[in-house]
Amino acid sequence: MASRFWTQGGDSDTEEEESDYDEEVENVPAEPTAATAASRYYSGNASDSDDSEGQKRVVRRVKDKRFDEMSATVDQVKNAMKINDWVSLQESFEKINKQLGKVMRVTESDRAPNLYIKALVMLEDFLNQALANKEAKKKMSSSNAKALNSMKQKLKKNNKLYEELINQCREKPELFEEKVEEEQEPDDDDEDEDEDDDFDEDPANPESEDSEDEEETGEESGPGWEKMLSKKDKMMDKQFKDPSQITWDTVNKKFKEIVAARGRKGTGRVELVEQLTFLTRVAKTPAQKLEILFSVVSAQFDVNTSLSGHMPINVWKQCVQNLLTILDILTQYPNIVVDDMVEPDENETQKGTDFSGTIRIWGNLVAFLERVDVEFFKSLQVTDPHTREYVERLRDEPLFSVLAQNVQEYLERVGDYKGASKVALKRVELIYYKPQEVYDAMRKLAEQDNGGREVESGEETKAVEESKGPPAFVVTSALVPRKPTFPENSRVLMDILVSLIYKYGDERTKARAMLCDIYHHAILDEFTISRDLLLMSHLQDSIQHMDISTQILFNRAMAQLGLCSFRVGLVTESHSCLSELYSAGRVKELLAQGVSQSRYHEKTPEQERLERRRQMPYHMHINLELLEAVHLICAMLLEVPNMAANAHDAKRKVISKNFRRLLEVSERQTFTGPPENVRDHIMAATRALKQGDFEKSFDVIKSLDSWRLIRNKDNVLQMLKAKIKEEALRTYLFTYSSSYDSLSLDHLSKLFDLSDAQTHSIVSKMMINEELHASWDQPTCCIVFHDVEHTRLQALAFHLTEKLTVLAETNERAIDARIGGGGLEGLPLRRKDGQDYAAAAASGGGGGNRWQDFSFSQGRQGSSGGRTGGYNNLGGGRTLGHPGGGFMRDRNARSGNYQSSGRAYQAGSAARGDTSTRMVNLNRGVRA
Amino acid sequence: MAAKYDLTHLIAPQLDRHLVFPLLEFLQERGFYPEEDLLKAKIELLNHTNMVDYAMDIHKSLYRSEDVPQEMMERRTEVVGRLKALEEGAAPLITFLQNPNAVQELRADKQYNLQILNDRYQIGPEQIEALYQYAKFQFECGNYSGAADYLYQYRALCTNAERSLSALWGKLAAEILMQNWDTALDELNRLKEIIDSKNFSSPLNQVQNRIWLMHWSLFIFFNHDSGRTHIIDLFNQDKYLNAIQTNAPHLLRYLATAFIVNKRRRPQFKDFIKIIQQEQYSYEDPITEFLSCVYVNYDFDGAQKKMSECEEALLNDPFLGKRVEEENFSSVPLRDEFLENARLFIFETYCRIHQRIDMNVLAEKLNLNYEEAERWVVNLIRTSKLEAKIDTESGTILMEPDHTNVYEQLIDHTKALSGRTYKLVSQLMDHAQPQSAR
Repeated sequence: MASRFWTQGGDSDTEEEESDYDEEVENVPAEPTAATAASRYYSGNASDSDDSEGQKRVVRRVKDKRFDEMSATVDQVKNAMKINDWVSLQESFEKINKQLGKVMRVTESDRAPNLYIKALVMLEDFLNQALANKEAKKKMSSSNAKALNSMKQKLKKNNKLYEELINQCREKPELFEEKVEEEQEPDDDDEDEDEDDDFDEDPANPESEDSEDEEETGEESGPGWEKMLSKKDKMMDKQFKDPSQITWDTVNKKFKEIVAARGRKGTGRVELVEQLTFLTRVAKTPAQKLEILFSVVSAQFDVNTSLSGHMPINVWKQCVQNLLTILDILTQYPNIVVDDMVEPDENETQKGTDFSGTIRIWGNLVAFLERVDVEFFKSLQVTDPHTREYVERLRDEPLFSVLAQNVQEYLERVGDYKGASKVALKRVELIYYKPQEVYDAMRKLAEQDNGGREVESGEETKAVEESKGPPAFVVTSALVPRKPTFPENSRVLMDILVSLIYKYGDERTKARAMLCDIYHHAILDEFTISRDLLLMSHLQDSIQHMDISTQILFNRAMAQLGLCSFRVGLVTESHSCLSELYSAGRVKELLAQGVSQSRYHEKTPEQERLERRRQMPYHMHINLELLEAVHLICAMLLEVPNMAANAHDAKRKVISKNFRRLLEVSERQTFTGPPENVRDHIMAATRALKQGDFEKSFDVIKSLDSWRLIRNKDNVLQMLKAKIKEEALRTYLFTYSSSYDSLSLDHLSKLFDLSDAQTHSIVSKMMINEELHASWDQPTCCIVFHDVEHTRLQALAFHLTEKLTVLAETNERAIDARIGGGGLEGLPLRRKDGQDYAAAAASGGGGGNRWQDFSFSQGRQGSSGGRTGGYNNLGGGRTLGHPGGGFMRDRNARSGNYQSSGRAYQAGSAARGDTSTRMVNLNRGVRA
Repeated sequence: MAAKYDLTHLIAPQLDRHLVFPLLEFLQERGFYPEEDLLKAKIELLNHTNMVDYAMDIHKSLYRSEDVPQEMMERRTEVVGRLKALEEGAAPLITFLQNPNAVQELRADKQYNLQILNDRYQIGPEQIEALYQYAKFQFECGNYSGAADYLYQYRALCTNAERSLSALWGKLAAEILMQNWDTALDELNRLKEIIDSKNFSSPLNQVQNRIWLMHWSLFIFFNHDSGRTHIIDLFNQDKYLNAIQTNAPHLLRYLATAFIVNKRRRPQFKDFIKIIQQEQYSYEDPITEFLSCVYVNYDFDGAQKKMSECEEALLNDPFLGKRVEEENFSSVPLRDEFLENARLFIFETYCRIHQRIDMNVLAEKLNLNYEEAERWVVNLIRTSKLEAKIDTESGTILMEPDHTNVYEQLIDHTKALSGRTYKLVSQLMDHAQPQSAR
C-alpha cells in the first residue's frame, strides 16, 4: 500500500495543496472523529488500522498545523473583538471559514471542529451585543459599520449550517472545552480498541452506542447518513455488515449520495473511488453493480484534474480492470444495454438477474476507452524515455490492447459499429507505427508476460478482497479474455481493423485510419500501395481542414512515405515527399517530435503548452537524422546534375532550395574539416559528386551512422551506389560535353563502372529528352556531340524572349485582376520552374493556397495544350480534373500531387488563416 | 509455359457465364491446358445455366460414356418445366407483340403504351415482368436471339431503371454471343451512356460497371472493323483509365496493343507510356514491357527479345490471336500488323538518337535480311517519314540532324507575344467602352 501513496505524492508535487490533500485523504481518516469524540454522532470507530505508525506521525503534524492555524485565527478574532474592529473581524471570519475547509479535509470529518464552533458562538454573541448597542453603532466609522452589517448577514447564513452544534455548545459548553486535551488520547485508545474489536464502543463516548443503533435501524435519518460519507470502508463494512440487511434501496441510496458528493468541496477524489469500489461489492443486482462501476471509472478519471498531468499509473491499471469487469458483466447479462443517450429509469437497476427484458444503464464505453488511451499516451509523454519506468509503462500496452479488443468485440456484438470503428482506430493507432519485428516482440510479450502478470494481479486483488470484508454479492467471473490475441502478421490485423473503420467510421476516424494505413504500408516497404492509398483518398486536399493532431499524423505518414520510397529506390518521389517537410526548418514541430525554437517567432506560453501536449512519445519517433540524411541525399542526387546542366544560370532552375542554401554555406567556408554531422557528410559527398568522383561520394555517405537504422541496409546502399554512379555520369556529361567532339561508350562505362547497356540507356535518355545535344554513331559506338551550344549573344537573346513572355504574362494578370475578377486564382502562370514553388512556400499559408491551384491548372495545361483558352475555361477545368466521387483516382495529378501537400504542413495557427483566405477567394469566384 | 501470358483467369470473373465459353473454346483449341480440365470447367459453368443438353454432351465426351448423372436429368426436366411456366406467364404479351397490327398502335410514349396495353389487352406490369423473366430464361438456355428480341421489347415497356439496365446488359451479351458486332456496338454505347450518367448509385458500383463494360467490349472491339480505334477512345478516357488502373490492370495489354496497331492515336500515346510506367508494379506483360523498353529505357536489344515474346502472347490471347482462315491458309492478321508497327517503333526511336547506323545491325534489329531492310528504309525515306540517306559504300544510313535553327527558335518564342498583346488591348478596350458608356 505504502508505495502506491509515494508515487502519488511524487506525481503531483507541483500542487502542494493537492498532494497534501491526497496523502491525508488516504492516511488519516480516523483522527477527526477522535477529535470530536464527545459528539453524540460519533460512530465509535473510525481509525484505519491499515495505517502504519510512521505515516501517522507525518499526518498528525499536518493536522496539527491546520489546527494551529485555526486557533491563531481565533485569537485574531478575539483581538479584533476587543478593539471592536469589524473590518478585521470580517477578514478573520473569512479566513477561518477557509481554514475550516482545510481542517475538515484533513480530519476527514464533516463535522466542524469544536474550536470553530466555539468561535462562532463567540462571534454571534459579540455581534448581538454590538447590534444591541445602538449608540456605539452610530459612532462607528462608515467602513466599520458596513463591515458590521455584512458580518451580520454572513454570520446568520453561516451559523444556520451549524445551528445544532452551536446550540449544543451553548447548552453544554464543557463538552467542547474538553476537546483539546482529549484530542491526542482517544486516538491511541482507538487504535488499541480497533485491534481488539472493530465494533467495540470507544470508552470515551458512551453515547455512541445509541447513535450506532439509530443508524442501523433508522437509516432514513439524515445526519446519520451524512456521517457515513466521512467514514472509510470499514465504517461501511459495519453498516453493510450483515448481508441480509442490505437491500437494493440501501445501496442505491448510498450510491446516490456518494455520487452527489462528487466534485463538491471537501470530498476526496481518491476516497470517492474507494467508497464506490466498496459499493460495487455490495451491489445487489448486476445492473446496479454496473452502474456503480461506471461511476467508479469516471471517478478514477477525476483523480487527476490538471490537463497536462496524467492519471497515476496504478489508478490507470485499476481503471482498466474495472472496465474489464464491466465487460464481464455485460457479457454475462446480455440484456443489459449501455447507452448514453437515454436517461435511464430511476429504478432500472433494481431489476435482478432473473429479469429478462432489457435494462438500460447510462454509460459510454467508447468514451471511457478513449480516455484510458489518452491517459496512457500522456503518461508516456511525461515519462523520461531513457528510464526503466518508461519501459515498464510500455509493457502496459497489451493491457490496453486487450481492453480495446474486448470493447470492440462487445460493441460489434451489440451492433454499435460506429463505436466499434472508433475503438478499432485506437487499436490501429497502437500498432500502425510498429514494424513487423517490434510487432512480434509485442506479441510475445503479451503472451508470456501477461500470463505472469495476470496471476500476480489476480492474487493481489484476491488478497485485497479477502482483507476487505464480505465477498461481493454479484460475482462476476472473468468472462472476457484477459490476454490480447494478435494475428501472426501485423498487416493482417491492420487490414481487419482498417476495413471495419472504412465501412462504419465517421470522416475523421476514416481519415486517421487511412493515414495509419499509409504509414504502416510505408513501413513495410509497400510504396506503391501506400502511395495509391494517399492519392485515392484525396487526403492532401482535405488535410488542412482537419485537426492538428491529424495533420501531424499526415506529416508523419508523408515522412515515412519518403523514407519508404527511398528504400525502394525512387529518388524523385522521396524528395517530393520530404522537401516540404524541410522547407520551413521546423521538422521537429511538424512531426511533433520535440519543440523547436525559432529565432524569429516567439511562442506564447499557451502555444508552447499546446505544442507540448501534442508531442509523440519517444518510442514512436521517426529518426530525424536518418530522415535528414535521406532528404539531403535525394536532393543531392537531383540537384547536382541539375546544377551541372544549367551551369551558366544556376538560379534558373532550383529543385531544392534548402539544399542549395546548405551548399552555399559550406562552399563559403575557407577550410573544410572532416565531416561531423549529417549535413557535413552530404556536403562532402556533393563536392565529390560534382567532380564526378562517385566512389568517394559513396564512401562518405556510407560512413553515416544512421544507415544501421534501415532494414536490408545492404540493398539500399547498393541501390544508392547505382544511383550515384548514374548521376555522376550525367553530371560528367553535362559538365564536359562541350569539351569533347566525341566520346566512346567503352570509355564512359569504364569510367563510371557501369555496364555498356546501362550507359547506353542513360545517355540515350538524355538525348531523347534533349538534355544532351549528341547522337550515337552506331558502327563505332561513340557519342558524337553536336555543336548546338548557344553563343553568348544567342543565349542572351533567349533570356530576353523569356523575360518578354514573363512581362506579357504579368500584363495579362494585371488586366485580369482589374477586369476579370475571379480569374486570378485559376490563372495558369507559366510555372517558372522551381521558383514559383519557392515563392509560394515562402509566402506561407496564402501562398500555399494559390499554389495548389497551380498544380491543377498545370495538369490541365498539359493536356489541353493551350493557355489562351480563356480563364473561365480553366476554372471549369479544375472541377473537371477533380472527380467528385472520392473513390476515383486523380491519376493525372499524381506526378505533381505530392507537392500540393504543402499546405498541410502549415500546421497550427497558419492553417486557420489559410482556410479563411480560401473562402474569400471562392466567393469572389462565384460572384464573378 | 505458354500459359504464362494467359489472362483468362483474370478476365473470366468479369464476364457473364455465357461469355466465358468462347474463351474456353479458344483455350481448348490452343491446347495448353489439359483438355479434361477444360471440359470440367465447362460443366462447372453450365451447371448454373440452363443449357442442360449441352452439359450432357460435354459430360459424355469427358467421361466417354453414355451415362448421364441423375441430377442432370432431373435438372433437365426442371428446366423444361420452368420454361413452360414462364412461357405461359409471358404468353399474352408475346402474342401481342407478334401481332404486327397491334404493335403499330404503340407510340414513342412509354406511359401511353402501358396505358393501352393495360386497357385493351389486359397486360399489366406482371406480364411485362414475366416477359423479362422469360427472356432471361431463354438466354440461360442458350437461345440468344430470342432473348435479344424479348429484351429489346421489354426495354421499350419497362419503367424500372435498374431492370432496364440489366436488360441492356442481357441484350449486349446476347448480341455478342450471336456475333452481331454492329448491334452490339450500339448496345455498348447505350450502356456506356447510362453508366457515365451522373445518377448512378455509388462510385464503387460505377467503377465495377465500367470494368465489366470494358471486358465485354473486348469481344466487340477485336472483331469489329473500326474496333481498334474505338477501344482507344473508350479505354483511354480518364474515368475508364482510372478504373483499369484501380481494378483491372491486365486490360492494359489490350490498350497497349491497340495503341501499337493504331497509327492514328499518336497524341495520346505519350501519356499512355507514362501510365505503363506507373503501373509497372501491378501489371507486366510482354507488350507493356516492349513499350517500356522502347520508350522508357531505350533498351533496343531488350525490345528485340520482347517482340518475340509479344508474338507468343498475342497468339495465345483469345481476343488478339483471332485467326482468319483463307482457303487453306490461316493467319493472325493482328499479329502481322503488330509486328510491323512494333518494328517501326523501334526504328523510329533508334533513328532519333543515332547519327550513323550500320545497315547490317539495323537489319538484325528489325528481324529482316539486308535486302529487305534496305528496301524498307528506302521506302521510309521516299515517303519522307525519315530524313536520312543511305551510304551504300560503307553500308550505313546517315541521319540528317534535325536541330532547329536558333533564329527560328527565337522567332517561335516571340511570335505569340504580339498576338497576346493585341488581345490584351482589345480586352482592355472592351472593358473600357461599357464603362465610358455608363
